[in-house]
Amino acid sequence: MAEDKKEAEKIARCAMCADMCKYSCPTYLATGRETLSPQKMARLIVYDEKDLLEDEKGFLDLMFQSALCGACSRHCIYDDYDLRKFIHKARVKAFDSGVIPEDVKKRVETFRKFGNPDGEKELIDKGDGDTGYFISCSTHKDEDLFKATEKMLLKSGVAIRRFGGGDMCCGAPLYYAGDMEGFRQVSLKMKAEIETRKVRRIVVDCPTCVKMMTEIYLETGVELDVDIMHTVQFIEALLKQGRLGFKKEDRVVTFHDPCILSYDLAMSSLPREIITALGFNLKDPVYSEEHTHCCGAAYGAKIGDHRLKDAVTSMRLKELRNTAADIYVTACPTCKSVLSEIDMKYITELVAERIIAKR
Amino acid sequence: MKVKTYMSQEGILPRGFIEKVRQVVGDEHFSQQEGDLISYSLDYWLYGIFLSQKGDLPALPSAVISPASAAQIQEVVRCASEYKVPITPFGGGSGVLGGAIPLNGSIVLNLQRMSRFLNLDGLSLVAEFEAGVMGANLELELNNRRYSAGNIPQSLYCSTLGGWISTRAAGQFSTKYGKIEDMVLGMEVVLPDGNLLSIKPVPRRSVGPSLKDLFLGGEGALGIVTRATISIHPLPKLIIKQSFIFPSIEVAVDVVRQILRAEAKPAVVRIFDEAESQRYFPKIGRKVTVIFISEGETEYTTLDARVIRRISRENGGKSSGEAPVNTWLQKRFDIGLGPILMQYGGIVDTIEVSALFKDAVKLYRDMVAGMKAVEGVLEVSGHYSHFYREGACLYITFAGIPKEPLRYYQDTWDAAMKATLQNNGSISHHHGVGFWRLQYLKEELGSSGVRLLKSIKSALDPEGILNRGKLIDGGR
Repeated sequence: MAEDKKEAEKIARCAMCADMCKYSCPTYLATGRETLSPQKMARLIVYDEKDLLEDEKGFLDLMFQSALCGACSRHCIYDDYDLRKFIHKARVKAFDSGVIPEDVKKRVETFRKFGNPDGEKELIDKGDGDTGYFISCSTHKDEDLFKATEKMLLKSGVAIRRFGGGDMCCGAPLYYAGDMEGFRQVSLKMKAEIETRKVRRIVVDCPTCVKMMTEIYLETGVELDVDIMHTVQFIEALLKQGRLGFKKEDRVVTFHDPCILSYDLAMSSLPREIITALGFNLKDPVYSEEHTHCCGAAYGAKIGDHRLKDAVTSMRLKELRNTAADIYVTACPTCKSVLSEIDMKYITELVAERIIAKR
Repeated sequence: MKVKTYMSQEGILPRGFIEKVRQVVGDEHFSQQEGDLISYSLDYWLYGIFLSQKGDLPALPSAVISPASAAQIQEVVRCASEYKVPITPFGGGSGVLGGAIPLNGSIVLNLQRMSRFLNLDGLSLVAEFEAGVMGANLELELNNRRYSAGNIPQSLYCSTLGGWISTRAAGQFSTKYGKIEDMVLGMEVVLPDGNLLSIKPVPRRSVGPSLKDLFLGGEGALGIVTRATISIHPLPKLIIKQSFIFPSIEVAVDVVRQILRAEAKPAVVRIFDEAESQRYFPKIGRKVTVIFISEGETEYTTLDARVIRRISRENGGKSSGEAPVNTWLQKRFDIGLGPILMQYGGIVDTIEVSALFKDAVKLYRDMVAGMKAVEGVLEVSGHYSHFYREGACLYITFAGIPKEPLRYYQDTWDAAMKATLQNNGSISHHHGVGFWRLQYLKEELGSSGVRLLKSIKSALDPEGILNRGKLIDGGR
């Protein structure tokens, strides 16, 4: 109860702040709608808790119009507060009352049928070793990334068990939809899948999978007994071993920081070190690292509200195009897919061309 | 609506107006949804924020309209004029005097969709932005190109360029880079009759009175600023931070006076009284602390810092190094204490006024004493935040936990304004008038001044369409 009071005080404080983080919020910037700024979302959540709103459905609908990207918490003047938790709580309320946007509903139904948000897909389970490579839903759809990863893993000389597809998913789509019971079941299933394969560490391309497995599973009481690392950390190890071939390049690379990688996993400098070590020239967009903007996928692919996706994606594409880079690179397969208009590559695709095979 | 309004009731919009405006901006940019009406009901007028905790809001807009261009704004303004619908322009909503509260059943004209960076001319050192750009985003765009506007208010992260212009704002680095009126070279404004006024960017002109000055402080009551060209500066090559402790406010103010008289041009000069020094710099404690930041070209900056150091020492200043400056730089945007106090029934606000050097210290003493005498007071503290060769801006923060919040708020403001006027000061340095300061306008401008301002308002906006109830009660 005391904990609840403390949490209520935190959001009430946010609701009285001057919205000092809104300049960083991609939803607010892309739409120019004050209502979607963090402080106004907080005010509405507080009012809903106090039963001061008449339009409950309208309120719950607004709660799905957030990227939950973490820009606001990264730039919050209070260091013990994350608005996303409260927006998520409202989504849980929406889910439990059956008031969720149509596209969210459809994806949850697909998930329940196939165990993933995309539909029927091939189960992949090959190789062995105590290191695992989890093929996220978004990687599974990406043939170029898949091939590049295979090449990188083969040349790395590390014995790796690759698994994913089928009905294996980290459960993020259910979490973002507010389906906490569904999410708990998926996290338990994921734990069992990992334990069956007897791996000690798992490499994952998708920052959201990493966040789910390292942070959100714990909220449902599921703890994985393995080390989870993002692909850029795996590549960093190769870099430290001197296994990335340097070739001076004239070409300019712009790195798009995936929001979760930057805000939740705090990995902004690593990808840049890797790209520079390969010999490329880096040029950052105005909004990069701690100022990065979501690609828009958080609304569509990770479940939110498809009405906002186009506005946010088009804002991000414009920001990236302004660098006029020769190559655009990211470290999230979903960002890669959403930003495909500028021929985005996943960082592994650059590394696979330069990795020096282990002898 | 379950939320309560205490200043004006919701207006009813004519159907013809709704239909026409929907066609202009598109259906999705015209909203009467509850969430939108609540979100645009209030800016950062702190007494209003205090009351908002319980769902009490000053007013709700009749609708929120979000245009994407000056042409759309022109159409909306013409429709509003035809149907006699008042308009409240809304930028970042960071104003602290209620300037963006949608009084009189007005619609809110949301400018946040007009936030583009338009162009930069490095040769002439100017850049053009749409008025809805947030200060921090404006700076990020400029910094990425190795420039800065040099306008860094505490509201940098939540205020817009249009808001800076409309409130005649000033930033923390103003002693070197100037205030917004020194920065704006050109602008585009939609006038209350729907016509567009373009003031081209030039370094200076001598073509009658300066028209742009009508809108620098116009508070959206004389026109709607849609874009502006501002001066920019290359990022500094050298930054020197210094701080000194002085035995009294009197000595500190006189030292800064001497420094500016000696033609030093620090970007930041701030004098903190004992209470603020204790709050900002606990290691220094209750002493008068002054911080300086000199920046720019290496030679000038070195010289600037040397002049500051010499005059400070000659007057008994004890150096406390860079640390307090770094602390201030880290804490300067942290407004976190206000909401926490308000949660516990505290009333918090800030008041900024200006005066000549001859009056600056007495003004501080009288203001603090007057405000401290109000029943329910918890703390009154101050710092001088902006300086000129002739005088300074005094910035007072007050907090109280009163039995009667509105009485305390009103009495404290009255005491502050009385002390200001008695010491020949101006009732506002950079926050503007909004609706709350309107009550003191006559004492500031005099009857002739108020009549003149009303005449200007009536001439430009005879129907009183724009931001009714703010700045001046002119028009209809």
